[in-house]
Amino acid sequence: MNLAVLWLALLGFLLAGYFVLGGADQGVQMLSSAARDERARTGLLACLGPFFFGNEVWLVGAVAVLIGAFPFLEGSLLPGLYPLFVALVAGLVLGKAAVQLRGRATGRWSRRVWDGCVAAGGAISAVGWGLVVGVLLAGVPMRDGRTFTLGWPMLLNPFVLSCGLAFGAVFAAHGLMFAWMRVPERIPVRPAPVLAVATAAVALAVVLGAGTGAVRPVNPAPVWALTGVTALALGAAWWAVRAGRAGRAFAATGVVAALPVPLLGVGNHPYVLLATEGPGMTVAEGAADEASLGILTAFGVVVLPLVLACQVWSWWAFRGRVDRGTPTYL
Amino acid sequence: MDTLDLARLQFIGTTGLHWLFVIFSLGLAPLVAVVHTRAVLARDPGRRAGLMRMTRFWGQLYVINYAIGIVTGLIVEFQLGLSWSGLSKFAGNVIGAPLALEALVAFFAESTFLGMWIFGWGRLRPAVHAGLIWLVTLTAYASAYWILVVNGFMQVPTGLEVRDGVAYLADFGALLTNSNVILALIHVTSAALVAGGLFLAGVSAYHLRRGTADREPFLGSLRMGVAVAAVAVIPTAVVGNMQFPILQEMQPMKVALFTHAPTDALQARMRAAYGPGDYVPPYWAEIGEEVMLYLGYTLGMGAICALLMVFRETLVRRRAVAAVAALAAGSSMGEFAGGLVFGAPGPHRVAVYVACTVLAAALLVFRPRRRRALALLLVVAIPLPFVASLAGWVMREVGRQPWLVYGHLKVEDGLSPVGWGMMLASTVTFIAVLAGLAVADWVLITVFARRGPDGAHLGAVATAPEPEPEPVKLPL
Repeated sequence: MNLAVLWLALLGFLLAGYFVLGGADQGVQMLSSAARDERARTGLLACLGPFFFGNEVWLVGAVAVLIGAFPFLEGSLLPGLYPLFVALVAGLVLGKAAVQLRGRATGRWSRRVWDGCVAAGGAISAVGWGLVVGVLLAGVPMRDGRTFTLGWPMLLNPFVLSCGLAFGAVFAAHGLMFAWMRVPERIPVRPAPVLAVATAAVALAVVLGAGTGAVRPVNPAPVWALTGVTALALGAAWWAVRAGRAGRAFAATGVVAALPVPLLGVGNHPYVLLATEGPGMTVAEGAADEASLGILTAFGVVVLPLVLACQVWSWWAFRGRVDRGTPTYL
Repeated sequence: MDTLDLARLQFIGTTGLHWLFVIFSLGLAPLVAVVHTRAVLARDPGRRAGLMRMTRFWGQLYVINYAIGIVTGLIVEFQLGLSWSGLSKFAGNVIGAPLALEALVAFFAESTFLGMWIFGWGRLRPAVHAGLIWLVTLTAYASAYWILVVNGFMQVPTGLEVRDGVAYLADFGALLTNSNVILALIHVTSAALVAGGLFLAGVSAYHLRRGTADREPFLGSLRMGVAVAAVAVIPTAVVGNMQFPILQEMQPMKVALFTHAPTDALQARMRAAYGPGDYVPPYWAEIGEEVMLYLGYTLGMGAICALLMVFRETLVRRRAVAAVAALAAGSSMGEFAGGLVFGAPGPHRVAVYVACTVLAAALLVFRPRRRRALALLLVVAIPLPFVASLAGWVMREVGRQPWLVYGHLKVEDGLSPVGWGMMLASTVTFIAVLAGLAVADWVLITVFARRGPDGAHLGAVATAPEPEPEPVKLPL
């Protein structure tokens, strides 16, 4: 296995981690719009706790690896999906800032604006990620092997839209399980109906992807296998919800949230950008040269375990439910 | 405006805003860490409680600032790829690693530690809790270093080898020890400490003028802020000046612009080396230089005068100490005063030094009246270091135009293949979102700074029913 594939796996790990952790945040953000009043909303958002600060930076880490190890993929991907990323980043920024600042606002009017930003930011980011994953699964119209531009037909493809919907629904369900685990008496809706919507949305995306021929992966076998795992994870989530086990339900929806990443990486290997016509961009073409990857690896071996250890420490130190002695800030 | 102008406007808008939040972070984080550490180490319970209150107060302001600091950073990170993909296509092999390390070491770790610090009150052991804010500080400074490695490379490319129009990393050590990087790091972090110190001093002066109940803690913060600012102005100025000889060698055009030297010969030389084009940077880079220098000199003088006044009683206790203080303060002020009067310290040095030493001595001998008016000056000075550092950033970055990577890649060649309408939409979106958030954030910082330590939310625990929030004049 060469260094580029190793770093691709790492990129996938960070992005999948982001979908699991940041996805839960975005889900809770979306659900906060269903909270009855101010007290209920504050109580619900309290579940984000200190994790909120560490969760979102998994994306920063993933983009860092994209820039550091795959500068050529980055140079094609970000300008190619320009409008999508602009909307996504604007949504992320609004949501992240609003979660931290809404508690500082005292006027009723300003609270309402911040609360709107919290929910809208979560929804825009969640759906935006779904659209990005959908477009990448369906393939992009590459020119000269380096550049492409997102067009309306690509974005309005039913499969791509269904991916946006599925991400929104899965993140909402995942966030709900997280809140159920941390602040069980504060959740604004019951888990079962939200999980039903998520299951239906995922099923729709699978049917459209396979049925309309929108997805033609390079390696169909692992794609079907991973789709099967998604189905199993959804089944496990149903079982956990019936049994009233919040932690297990959260783990199961986490698997569902993370699976699109390996699906994308393994399904299209050796391409990092699948083209609708002609050859796409392979891992080697997207990656930095061996010397740079070598330096990155030398630092990565030290830095990544340290950074992950910090996160694990944070999870351990603040594990358990939010109770009366927990510092409130959000 | 064409697409290129829009992309540049977007960059200067988003990165310029990010810069202001970064300077505040770098300046305030170590001061919060010091106050928190002193609180943890204090034996006397009353003193300890007072210092803890101040930690929560300053920490609250830091955390409000951080909320926007991190999201502007996110936009800048994405923007590099969105608008300037030519940069990663040319220099991705070289700058990718430091950018990745910046995000992983700093962004990632810093945010995790800060989250734990915010929620750690009463939950983590005091020493661990105070250690966390030091880790936040350390990672913030590491972030500054790594990002300056990238910026320093773009200013003065070192350690690279260009093959077929793509840069490859040839010498990682040269990239990391680029003199442009090290000097800029010291200059920028010292300037940030000036900003942080004057912020502490200004907010404390505001509360002392109003007659706060927390007189002693705010006096302590005032002393600390003034001392930090007065000490940090010196490396800011000295290291700032040390950069000029390097510029003279590496970016002669920038220096020619600032010294009003003729640029024709340089222009001809650049055209001979790099082909036809305009190599003279926009004139307003020089405005940035002048704003930075004059504000810097003024703040330098002001900070040292404030130091003498605030510590007057301690300094005049012994004559020898007072004499040394007057001489030291006079000679540092001499440099700043010379710059203010003549544009650059130099002419009539002896006369200026003597005058400044007399001024310093006078400040020590006579107890200044109108202390409330002087305190107001400290409050008014709060935004000035930020303006100065932004102007310095304009000078550094606009002054190297038309280069993205000096001598290798022009700004126009770094632009992503993005249409005009798309660039307009993203520029309007990003600048509107960020400007709105920034203004809201500054209003919140002002509100919480004025409320004083009783109004801090940081470290509150949901044991009692929530008290009614007090009415605030600026509803946001």
